[in-house]
Amino acid sequence: MSKFFNLGNGSTWPGHIALSINKNFIRDVLRNSKVKIILIAGTNGKTTTAKLIRTILEYDKKSLPAHWRVFQNAAGANLLNGIASSLVLHSTVVCKLNYDYAIFEIDENTLPLILHEINNPDFIIILNLFRDQLDRYGEVNTIAKKWEDAIRHLLSKTTLILNADDPQVAFLGEKSKSNVLYFGINPANKTEKNQHASDSNYCPNCGERLIYNSIYFSHLGDWICKNCGFEHPKKTFTQSPFYPLSGTYNEYNTNAAVLLAKLNNVSNRAIEQSLRVFKPAFGRQEILKINDKKVQIFLSKNPASFNESLKTIANLNANNLLLVLNDRIPDGRDVSWIWDVDFEDFSSQFKNITVTGDRAFDLGLRLKYAEFKNFQTKKNLAEATNVALEKTLKNETLYILPTYSAMLEVRKILTGKSIL
Amino acid sequence: MIHNTKYKLTIGWLYPELMSTYGDRGNIIVLQKRCEWRGIGVEVLKLDLHFNLNQLAQCDLLFMGGAQDKQQKIVSEDLMKKRNALQNRIEDGIPGLYICGAYQLLGRYYKEAERTIIPGLNIFDLYTGNPGLNVSRLIGNVAIEFQGVNSYSPSRCNHSYTLVGFENHGGRTYLGKNVKPLGKILKGFGNNGEDGTEGAIYKNSFGTYFHGPILPKNPEFADLLIKVALEKKYGSPIDLSPLDNSIEMQARKTIANRLNVEL
Repeated sequence: MSKFFNLGNGSTWPGHIALSINKNFIRDVLRNSKVKIILIAGTNGKTTTAKLIRTILEYDKKSLPAHWRVFQNAAGANLLNGIASSLVLHSTVVCKLNYDYAIFEIDENTLPLILHEINNPDFIIILNLFRDQLDRYGEVNTIAKKWEDAIRHLLSKTTLILNADDPQVAFLGEKSKSNVLYFGINPANKTEKNQHASDSNYCPNCGERLIYNSIYFSHLGDWICKNCGFEHPKKTFTQSPFYPLSGTYNEYNTNAAVLLAKLNNVSNRAIEQSLRVFKPAFGRQEILKINDKKVQIFLSKNPASFNESLKTIANLNANNLLLVLNDRIPDGRDVSWIWDVDFEDFSSQFKNITVTGDRAFDLGLRLKYAEFKNFQTKKNLAEATNVALEKTLKNETLYILPTYSAMLEVRKILTGKSIL
Repeated sequence: MIHNTKYKLTIGWLYPELMSTYGDRGNIIVLQKRCEWRGIGVEVLKLDLHFNLNQLAQCDLLFMGGAQDKQQKIVSEDLMKKRNALQNRIEDGIPGLYICGAYQLLGRYYKEAERTIIPGLNIFDLYTGNPGLNVSRLIGNVAIEFQGVNSYSPSRCNHSYTLVGFENHGGRTYLGKNVKPLGKILKGFGNNGEDGTEGAIYKNSFGTYFHGPILPKNPEFADLLIKVALEKKYGSPIDLSPLDNSIEMQARKTIANRLNVEL
């Protein structure tokens, strides 16, 4: 339909128009469709999980014509108008959806609104809940309460796929009438020290402090409440046949996607083969080749994701690092969260560190107080990227950790090759 | 690093587990490092739920951050039982920094949108009202003119100094006669978005809505807290050795330029 207007994939205004003409647009399009709806919510990992699921399902249906398979909303277009846009883009002139699956990643605040429009989606995956953009989303407990209220009304047609290791997410399954399944990660050898930015160490049921047998990262782990008896779900899916991306956080994303694939009768063989050819979503461990040097971008937008990125690249023996901190609306205007990142654990880890972005000096200040010695701060992003690349030796990798808008900018600089 | 064993400070961090949401631990890191870099011995005592009153007595400087509502309720119940001990220390002039939720808690009361009144610790002469979820929170970068603590402490900070930070609060705080504002709003909202004041000073205690966190980008204010704590403990005027504040200055400038205020 929107092809008439020659609109790109990322635009949200077709949806905006559709919703202003018919406020029930989403409901009406989906009413007569057999498309299976998969919603993905959570602070971190939505885009990667959506891409994992899409890769597996498309691989599984590869004998069918393309338009009979899977579509998803554009990454980041995860408010109501983004969902509506993707419906405009993929429906026929008579508003018919000829697809098997629709995958929608949903913004934390939008989940209740979308559940109002899509009463009983087939699947809802909830990945995690971390502190993120407190100026925009409010506090973790506020979001948890909104989700709880929205999910309470779901019926058994919906399958809820929840992270068992996140107590506040696991709690959503307690009072649900839906079919509830849990995923987690394999706990072998995963005990780690407590991270500072830990948000849900208290029982979501009774408020007592939770006891952790082990902590995987932030407040994710094997937990139990000794007061009310609320405990980590026993039956938890933890074993994908293959993990295409590094980092503990991607084990969660992969296990969630694989559990969903299994529920849709995708064979183990197809799952493994599709994951082996998986290509990361843009900016999410995406690899770019710049002449004879490799660049890998790790979107790092809140304390939990920043900590995980640092840990992951440290395990990859990273030498060269470019950190980019912006404070625009998609990043959150408040940059105080950088003080909740455990930089202290990495103060002598990296050889060549360049710091940049709209709030470069705030991040430089953070590194100074974490006793980093060898970093330089440059206000201009293009210049900083150039310096960081120059210092990266041939056949080495430059690891870039940007916030959201910074990721888009740095990608443009690198792929547009405007600085080289 | 030179270790000057002559001076030592014990910093009491009230409820680090529950009251630490907006990067407020940055304040502790800054106090600790600025002492260490000068060779001042420093110990941070974490005063978590059910802490012992003897620990409070050992502290030379207190800090408490902001929190989520649920956590704040748990803290407020615990702190009510320790109210008198904390009041005695504050009246006695122990320097302290209290951010957002902690600042509100030290006041007389907090009135919720539904008109429920939650009693505060009643140590600072101020109260806070929350106009409810339908009224906007006060969010954004903020700058104030800090007027120093001339008559409130044995130390002197005679010149005015611009404090920069970020505020994010639903509650509106109104000051009584027995406290002075921390400063005058240059840009932003401050205590209530109406009367041009931000924060409160009582004796050597400072309450504020500044996140950011406040101390990294306002190193002179951090040093003032350290200086007052040392002078109080050792009973004589102390001059702190200067530190390189060049990154601090540039980070301050970023905000000052955006808000179009002078530093």
